[in-house]
Amino acid sequence: MSATEIAGRMAGVEAGAPIRQSSLWQDAWRRYLRNRGAVAAGIVFLLIVVWCVVAPILSPHDPNRIYFPDAYQGPSWSHPFGTDQFGRDLFTRAALGGRISIGIGFGATVAILLIGVVYGAVSGFVGGKLDNGLMRFLDALYGLPYLPFAILALAIIGTVNFWTMVVALSIASWFITARVVRGQIITLKENDYVRAAKAVGVRWYAILGRHLLPNTLGVLVITIFLELPGVILGEAFLSFLGLGINPPDASWGAMAQDGRDAYRAHPHIIIIPSLAIATLVLCANFIADGLRDALDPRTRET
Amino acid sequence: MALLEVTDLRTHFFTRAGLVRAVDGIDFSVEKGKTLGIVGESGSGKSVTALSIMRLLPTPPAQIVSGSIRFDGRELTTLSERQLEDVRGRQIAMVFQDPMTALNPTLTIGTQIVEVLQRHLDLDRHSARRRAVGLLEEVGIPRAADRLDDYPHRFSGGMRQRVVIAIAIACEPRLLIADEPTTALDVTVQAQVLDLLDDLRRERDMAMILITHNMGVVAESADDVAVMYAGQIVEQASAHELFRNPEHPYTEALLAALPDLDDTRARERRLAAIPGRPPDLIDPPAACRFAARCAYAGCADSCTVEPPALRELRPGHWVRTAHPASEREAVAT
Repeated sequence: MSATEIAGRMAGVEAGAPIRQSSLWQDAWRRYLRNRGAVAAGIVFLLIVVWCVVAPILSPHDPNRIYFPDAYQGPSWSHPFGTDQFGRDLFTRAALGGRISIGIGFGATVAILLIGVVYGAVSGFVGGKLDNGLMRFLDALYGLPYLPFAILALAIIGTVNFWTMVVALSIASWFITARVVRGQIITLKENDYVRAAKAVGVRWYAILGRHLLPNTLGVLVITIFLELPGVILGEAFLSFLGLGINPPDASWGAMAQDGRDAYRAHPHIIIIPSLAIATLVLCANFIADGLRDALDPRTRET
Repeated sequence: MALLEVTDLRTHFFTRAGLVRAVDGIDFSVEKGKTLGIVGESGSGKSVTALSIMRLLPTPPAQIVSGSIRFDGRELTTLSERQLEDVRGRQIAMVFQDPMTALNPTLTIGTQIVEVLQRHLDLDRHSARRRAVGLLEEVGIPRAADRLDDYPHRFSGGMRQRVVIAIAIACEPRLLIADEPTTALDVTVQAQVLDLLDDLRRERDMAMILITHNMGVVAESADDVAVMYAGQIVEQASAHELFRNPEHPYTEALLAALPDLDDTRARERRLAAIPGRPPDLIDPPAACRFAARCAYAGCADSCTVEPPALRELRPGHWVRTAHPASEREAVAT
């Protein structure tokens, strides 16, 4: 913080100017905006999401209409991303695939957060033997390789659709989140104000819900964007192996799989979904970095 | 019957280093509307006593191994956590030492007062907020209605302690435990906060336990005083009696350690300190726990071998020493 900035703040305080409620989040937002890479990543991320939502609605092409005379066209004005081996418009299909990929990505991330937060919060809050037991169980699970476990989960469930993909991808990837939340809760519950709240009879769920969990929100926001790339890549990987969403629906991974047969003659079919995945994952990583710098008090004002 | 009766309370900590006898057999009672001062140096067991009454110590490692705490005829040591939650804040409330950390920095003070009010009293949000404004006015926060939606960082230390007190008295508890309520505050603010506590106690006919290591604080506001040393009460009397006729060598030493600003010769002297350190509570001496630091305990004394019992020298004046001041003079002459 520069000297003039400090002076400016002091002046505000002396004048009795009210400090706005969400000063923590406003500070974080200001620091995030200063990080140009993160801002650019955020904009690209939003553009991709908007494209996925809007493009299929506005497109004149039916994404599932098979019309062989149009097969394997390169990019052109009527088909900006070209067409695939069935003559389907890739611009529209890539947007639809994005809906599924991003949807599964966010769905699985939310599931990871839910499981991780509940598990970690209970473990950290209750403490003692229960905490010990839950953490040792987590240690055992920690050794599980995530993708084979997802394949196994899909095999056990039997059917593949949006929701089973969400389950398969989240079932073996909430361990880190649970640990992070547990650590946060343990640190926070040592605070005097938690003891003070107990001393006036506040019930345990109110302490957890009002005094502890809201303070972990910053970490959770970062976790969303840290988990998202892994989940999206996992989904792409499964679909590329043919274990993902069933045709004619497609995720980006499934589309890349479609392009594999003709990648020498018509590389655009595999390149377009791959680029989309890479861009999205890169953006999510940049956003996570930016958020961490913005929300972590230790990096503040450097 | 007294409002709070503590008999033979023992709170021990089961740690890896061994059994810490933090509170080792204390008895006291607090009458309705009166103030009991508990004095002692750091580690003497004052705070553990307070937290034992509130049942706020983490178990394990802490455990109340024996004794009884009766509040208004109701035994607290056997209550379930659920029942305790209804006692805390409603019947017994507590003010903590450091107002800088006792308030949640991410919630407005209004939210924090309303939380307690709605927890114990059947109030809707609107009337709870109105009640909160009244409480803030009562503890002396200017422009209370405007400040309700301010965050704790907008308040000074003294003002925050007033907010903490407002939260503690919100549901009109009958006993307020103040654990070093002024220690973290500026000297200029200390007296104001003590006066506030005393006024509130009188107006609401509330009993108070005032825990402090400051003899001056006790002299100002306590009716009765218990002096604690190494987990035990070594002397107990009315404040008037204790300050006029201190009997225990430790109490005498504490009083002698007070700086005297009126006596010019005393001002040039060094402040009196008590030699030595308090005993290790993992393995306290079998004899009198103060013997090692006591100016009167000789090697031929029984008190270096076996512990002296707490005895009543005069009505209401209890002391745990083989060498009370009144008997000492008789020996010397």
